[in-house]
Amino acid sequence: MIDQAIATRKPLAHLRDVSFRYPDSDRIALDHLEWEIQPGEMLLVVGRSGSGKSTMLRTLNGLVPHFSGGKFAGSVTVCGASTRAQGPNQLSRHVGMVFQHPETQVLGSRVDEDIAFALEQHGTPRSTMRKRVEELLDLLSIETLRHRDPASLSGGERQRVAIAGALALHPDLLVLDEPTSQLDPWGAEDVLAALTRLNEDLGLSVVIAEHRLERLLHRVDRVVQVGDGGELHASITPGEFVRRAEPLALPPVTRIGLALEWTPIPLTVKQARLPAREMVLSIDPFDAGREVGDAVIEAIDIRLKHGRGTILSGVDLTLRQGELVALIGRNGSGKTTLIRSLLGHHPVAGGQLVFPSERLDQASPASIGRRIGYLPQQATAMFFAETVRDEIAFTARNRGQKPDDRHVEVALERVGLSGYAERHPRDLSGGEQERLALAIMLTGDPIALMLDEPTRGMDAWRKADLIRILDEYRQRGGAVLMATHDVELVARIADRVMMLGDREVIAEGTPREVLGGSLTFTTQSQLVFGDDWLTPESVIRAAMASDHVP
Amino acid sequence: MNALPDQSIDARAWLLWGAAASLPLLTGRHPVVLLELLIIVVVVRQVCVHRRGAVGWSWLLRLAALAVPIGVIFNVMTVHAGDQVIFRIPEAIPLIGGPVTWNACVYGVLSGLTIVALIAVGTTIAAVIEWSALIRLLPARAGNLAVAGSVAWSFLPRLATSWREIRESQSARGHQWSGVRDFVPLIVPLLAGGLDRSIATAESLEARGFGVLSTGNQMRLPASLSMIAALTAAVAGLYLFATGNSLQAAALIPACGAMALIAVRLGRSRSMIQPTHYRRATWSARDTAASAGAVIALLATGVALQAAPESLRYEPYPEITVPTTEPLFVLLLACLLVPALVAPAGVESGVSR
Repeated sequence: MIDQAIATRKPLAHLRDVSFRYPDSDRIALDHLEWEIQPGEMLLVVGRSGSGKSTMLRTLNGLVPHFSGGKFAGSVTVCGASTRAQGPNQLSRHVGMVFQHPETQVLGSRVDEDIAFALEQHGTPRSTMRKRVEELLDLLSIETLRHRDPASLSGGERQRVAIAGALALHPDLLVLDEPTSQLDPWGAEDVLAALTRLNEDLGLSVVIAEHRLERLLHRVDRVVQVGDGGELHASITPGEFVRRAEPLALPPVTRIGLALEWTPIPLTVKQARLPAREMVLSIDPFDAGREVGDAVIEAIDIRLKHGRGTILSGVDLTLRQGELVALIGRNGSGKTTLIRSLLGHHPVAGGQLVFPSERLDQASPASIGRRIGYLPQQATAMFFAETVRDEIAFTARNRGQKPDDRHVEVALERVGLSGYAERHPRDLSGGEQERLALAIMLTGDPIALMLDEPTRGMDAWRKADLIRILDEYRQRGGAVLMATHDVELVARIADRVMMLGDREVIAEGTPREVLGGSLTFTTQSQLVFGDDWLTPESVIRAAMASDHVP
Repeated sequence: MNALPDQSIDARAWLLWGAAASLPLLTGRHPVVLLELLIIVVVVRQVCVHRRGAVGWSWLLRLAALAVPIGVIFNVMTVHAGDQVIFRIPEAIPLIGGPVTWNACVYGVLSGLTIVALIAVGTTIAAVIEWSALIRLLPARAGNLAVAGSVAWSFLPRLATSWREIRESQSARGHQWSGVRDFVPLIVPLLAGGLDRSIATAESLEARGFGVLSTGNQMRLPASLSMIAALTAAVAGLYLFATGNSLQAAALIPACGAMALIAVRLGRSRSMIQPTHYRRATWSARDTAASAGAVIALLATGVALQAAPESLRYEPYPEITVPTTEPLFVLLLACLLVPALVAPAGVESGVSR
C-alpha cells in the first residue's frame, strides 16, 4: 500500500544508469545503478564491506565525483538539481550528510557553533540561525550540550550533533554512512531513535547504510541491497529482505524465527516474544566448559591512573592458555587502558603484573610485543611496507623467526589470504586489511592476543571470519583478551567476562553469570528466552532437539 | 561540564601577537632579545595553553637539543670566519675546508635557538586558536584556499594523536627503535593515516556547504589584478621593513591601501552574499590589551630596525663582542607578555573565540 502511494509521487532523488570508477583503480565501484528515493522514505542500504555502499551514498550530494575524482557515467538528480552541474557545497541545501567517524565531522569549537556552520556558509541571517540552532538542539535532545566542546562529547552525542549540523539547512534528504558503527549500543540507540523521530514526525527522507541491523530493520520502509560488484540487487521491504538475505546478516531473533519457521518472522524482540511463549526449551543450552591451560598473564590488584585520577583499581585478572576473556563496560570504563597496561604502554600505578611462562615482568613494550600480539581499534593504520609479504616478514623478524616464504604462507593461510603475498597492503579491501592485521599479530605464535573493539564496523561475514580465526588460535593454546561492546559476540565466544564500571571490576564470571539477568549488557536471545539462552544457535539447537513447532 | 570560556582572547589578537613575536626573531640574532622572547613565549604558553591534550615542555627541550647542535655543526662547517679559531680543516676539502671558529659556533647556537623560538611561537598560536575560528576569519572569496588551509591546519594535531597509536601498534609487533631507519614503520602509516583523516574532514566541510558563496562568484579581472597589486605591495613592504628600510616600507603603505580599496570596490560592485556569523564577534578589553601589547612590540621592532639596528641584530664576526642592548626596546618587547597577564585564571583558558 505504502509502495503504491509513494510510487505516484515524483522521486526526491533519481540515479539513472550510474557507473563509477575511482581514479587509478581497475575495479568498478558502481555498475549501472538505477535507483529512486521517494519523499518521506526511510531506506536502509546493505551490502558487504567494499560493495560500494558509501560510494553510492556519496553520489547523492555530489562528493562523487566532484570530491573523489574518477570516471563517472550516468546522471544523479536530487530535488531537480543535477549533481553534475552542482557540487557538494551547493547541494548541501538539499542533502545533509553524516559520516562514519564522529571526530572528523566537528567543525566548530562549541556544539551550537558547530550546528550553525552550514548556515554561516550559506549567509543565513543571524536571527534565523539562532532559531534553527535552538530547534535542532531540541529536536535531537542535545540542548544540554550546547556550550560543550564537541571533542568532550561521547561518540553517540557527537553523532547527534553531526546530524543536527547536517539538518541545519533544512535539507530534503538526510544521508548517513554507517553512523553507528563506531558507537556503543546506547549511543547507537540514541542516534537511531533520533532518526526515526525525524522521519516519522517531520517526514524527512533518510537513507542509512549500516551493518548492525538488529536496531534498524524494523524502522525502515525499504531495504536496498548492493551487490559485491557495485550493482543494485534489490530494493525491497524488510519482510522480503529477511526471506532473501543470508541468515548470518540478520538480527538474532530473526534468525531464530527463520530457522523455526515462525510466521510472521520477527524483526524485534517484542515481535519474537509471542511465538517464544509457546516454547519450552529444556536441554542445557551451554556447551561443556573449554579446557584451559596454565596462566600466561596474571594481574594482581593492579591500579591504573591518568594524571591524578584513578582509572581502575583492585583489578585481578588471570589469562590462561586456550581461554578467551571479554572485557565489557561503557565507553571510558578503562577497557583499553587495562589492555595497554598489560602491554607496557600504560604505567601500572600499583599492584603486580606477572607473566608466569615468560620473563616479561619488567620488559619494554617491544619485548612484550614479541610474545603478545595486540590488535588496536585502528589496526590497519600499522601498515607501512610495499607488500603483504614484507609486513608479515617484518613482524616475524622482530619476533625472532626467519622471515621466509613458509612463515608468510602459513600466516596468510590462517586468515584466508593465501595468494595475497605480493599485493600492496593499502590496495586490499577493508575486510582483507583486517585479516592481514590479524595475520601480522598471529605471526610468531604469540602466547596471547589482545584485541580492542575488533568487530567495530565489521559486516557479519567478516565477524564470522574473526570468530573462526580466534577459535583456531585458542585451539593452538593461545590466550585472548578482548575489549568489546559486542555482547552477541561475547555470548558466542567468550569463556569468561569481566564487566568494568565505577573504576573497578563490577562483575566477573562466565557469560551466563555476567550477562544473564542484565538489562543492558545482554543479547536478543536472552531478552526473549531468559537468562539461560544467550545465543540464537543455542535456542535453535534446543528447539530442534525438542522438535518445537509453534 | 567541559564548556569553553567566553573570556578567551580573540583569534585576531593572537595572530597579531604571533606576528609581533616572530618579527624580531626573523630580523636578527640578538642574544638578549632571543632570550627575552623565549621567556615570553614560555610564560604565555604556560599561562594561556591549558587545552586538553596540549603537550608539555619536554618536546621543546628535545627540539632545542636537536636544533642547537645542528645549527652549530652547519655553521662551523660552512662559515669559516672569526678571530677565535678552534682548529683548521684542510683547505683542500671542498665546502667545509677552512678554520673552525668559536665565532661560527656562537652564531650556530643563536640560529638554533631562533628556530626553537619560532617553532614555540607557532605551536603556541596553534594551541590557542581553534581552526574553526581561523576559517571564519577568511573571506568568502578564499573558499577553496580555506578548504586547503583547514585541511592543513587539522593535519598536524591529528598527526600527534596518531603518533602514539602507531608507535604502540608497531611495538606490539616487537619493533624496537634503535636508529633513523627504524622510524620508517612509524612515519609511513603516520602520514597515510593523517592524510586519510584530513581528507575526511575536508569531505565534511564540502558536505556542509563550505565555500559555497565563493562558488560561481569569482572575482572579476580588474578586481583580481588590483588585489594582486595590493598583495605584491604588501609583501614588498614587509621585505623592506624586515631588512631595515622602514621609510621605504612606509612609502608603500598608501599604494598598498589604494590597490586594496580598488579591489574591494570592484569586488563589491557585484551583488554577492557574504557568510554570516552565528556568534556576534565581541571585542573585549582583554583583546584590546593583547593587541595593544603586540602593536607596541611591532612598532618598537620597526623603530629599532631603523634607528638602532644593533639592538636587534648581532653578529659574532669578525670578533665575539658583548651585544649592545637597548633597555627601552627590551622593555617594550615585554609588552608581548600582556596575554599572560590578562588571561582569565582558573578556567580552561586560551582557546580563541
